[in-house]
Amino acid sequence: MIEIEHLTKRYGKKTAVDDLTFAVKPGVVTGFLGPNGAGKSTTMRAIVGLDAPTAGLARVNGKHYSEFRSPLTEVGALLEAKSVHAGRSAYKHLLALARTHGIPTRRVHEVIDLVGLHEVAGKRVGGFSLGMGQRLGIAVALLGDPAVLILDEPVNGLDPDGVKWIRLLLKGLAAEGRTVFLSSHLMSELAQTAEHLIVIGQGRLLADTTVDDFVSGNGKSRVRVVSPDAARLAEHLAGPGITIASPERGVLDVSGTEAAVVGQTAAAHGLVLHELRTDRGSLEDAFMQLTADAVEYRQTTEGVK
Amino acid sequence: MTAAAMTERPAYSPPQQYRLTFVGELRSEWTKLWSLRSTWIVLLCAVVFSGGLGALISANVPDEAAVGGADMALGYAMAGVSLSSVFVAVLGILSITGEYTTGSIRSTLSAAPKRLGMLWSKALVFGAVVAVLFTVMVFATFFMSQALLSGTEIGDVSLGDEGVLRAMFGYVAMIVYLALLAIAIGAILRNSAGSIGFYVGVIMILPQLATLLPWEWVSDAVPYAPGNVPNTIALVDTSGSTLTLGESWLWMGIWLVVAYGLAAVLLKRRDV
Ligand SMILES: Nc1ncnc2c1ncn2[C@@H]1O[C@H](COP(=O)(O)OP(=O)(O)OP(=O)(O)O)[C@@H](O)[C@H]1O
Ligand SMILES: [Mg+2]
Repeated sequence: MIEIEHLTKRYGKKTAVDDLTFAVKPGVVTGFLGPNGAGKSTTMRAIVGLDAPTAGLARVNGKHYSEFRSPLTEVGALLEAKSVHAGRSAYKHLLALARTHGIPTRRVHEVIDLVGLHEVAGKRVGGFSLGMGQRLGIAVALLGDPAVLILDEPVNGLDPDGVKWIRLLLKGLAAEGRTVFLSSHLMSELAQTAEHLIVIGQGRLLADTTVDDFVSGNGKSRVRVVSPDAARLAEHLAGPGITIASPERGVLDVSGTEAAVVGQTAAAHGLVLHELRTDRGSLEDAFMQLTADAVEYRQTTEGVK
Repeated sequence: MTAAAMTERPAYSPPQQYRLTFVGELRSEWTKLWSLRSTWIVLLCAVVFSGGLGALISANVPDEAAVGGADMALGYAMAGVSLSSVFVAVLGILSITGEYTTGSIRSTLSAAPKRLGMLWSKALVFGAVVAVLFTVMVFATFFMSQALLSGTEIGDVSLGDEGVLRAMFGYVAMIVYLALLAIAIGAILRNSAGSIGFYVGVIMILPQLATLLPWEWVSDAVPYAPGNVPNTIALVDTSGSTLTLGESWLWMGIWLVVAYGLAAVLLKRRDV
């Protein structure tokens, strides 16, 4: 259980986190979503006590992180920024951390095998690829077999195999009753891993909801039809509450109705269909809509040809 | 997911047998120190430099300069040892600023969130390593130098002579003191180039330059500068120095308390 209460963090004049309150429960994977600069990493650093809140507090299982007698078994964290000395080997990095808690070398080897770094464990971390560095960070987080996992963009730099692997791993860890909290800017990524969602923008809470509710509440669906008789079909479908767009000749995007209705209408009038499917509204669209006003760094495509 | 389904899941309880301890932190710092190539390289340089320079100088002392007391003999022998303190200080600085520049400090302090244990254990482990290494170096250099100077007036200094053994351990203590001071500077400034610059400029060079200034109060203050206070303890005959032996130790203590007090307060208060 992670509890964030009225957390505010300012860096000079810049407010990174603004009166944020939410809780992350054990047993499910909770996603932490927000555009660049929303304050996700800052919140996570506050949880593990690296950054002191300007106001409010962040607690884990009722305690401030620094009060734990064995922090590594309570919370395992993968932070955004590199947290390893480039000149040290992966094995020695893990060993040095394990030593603080009297964690045996057996466990160090275990986590190295678990994240698939066996071959390169003796090599200097400076030469690691992004994905290898990320795997090492995950190994660090798992070292103490902790009750709470905090992962800042864990899939960053992982190959598709790695992404799949970490998804299963995190779900499995949550199923054991642990608290799993991971951040991302990719809604689609989180939708496949997380059950619960915390969405922030410009340091403020925008949504605290289940993924299912978020999707059904925000994702609009539409029916795509491909038909040689598209124009006539459109005439028959037209009605109040129904909008029809034709992105190209012979293709219709119909919203405000269902695929079954479209199929029946076509059959009733003897129209040929080549394709009929329901497109669930893109999660990214829903997310972007929610955070539209809270995007901090907006890019422009002007001048890019 | 319903509330009922959520409560059905068993609560996870993490391993109970592990504890964050100070001994654990000491072992961790030991592992970190020796797992970096730079440690081996810099300490090897310090050894070669102390022994090599001591030997080179002792072998080339002209007869007319091989006069005076035990302090002259130790001065020739320990010239390299004294200069090697720079290597040791740089390594001490890097042992902490390296954590900040590479970001490994975040891992370190996530494992030990009370933070101060990290500072004390770093200082203790590094101080102990330097103490052992330089005890060996000081004695090895002394015997080597005496062998090279044998036959001259200062070639028959004995460990049993009054003050000689004490002065030799004084050299060791001086190097350990400078190493500890360097770690505190690194902890305060967090930046490798800045800390090394500060050490070389303020601890090593400034007190030398200050003697050239015309104001009297400056030359009165110079013996109390952090880089100068250990000078007395490395002398066989201390009658000529401004600080007595006791004052020398006292001022080393004062400067360490000041440096570590500041480092500790900043470590607790600043974001990582
Ligand atoms: N140490 C710091 N000093 C000054 N400003 C900071 C610091 N850390 C974060 N900020 C600012 O606070 C805001 C939030 O940053 P944070 O890194 O928490 O965002 P984020 O949600 O993790 O973004 P991203 O998705 O890009 O990782 C940003 O505007 C950032 O510039
Ligand atoms: Mg971030």
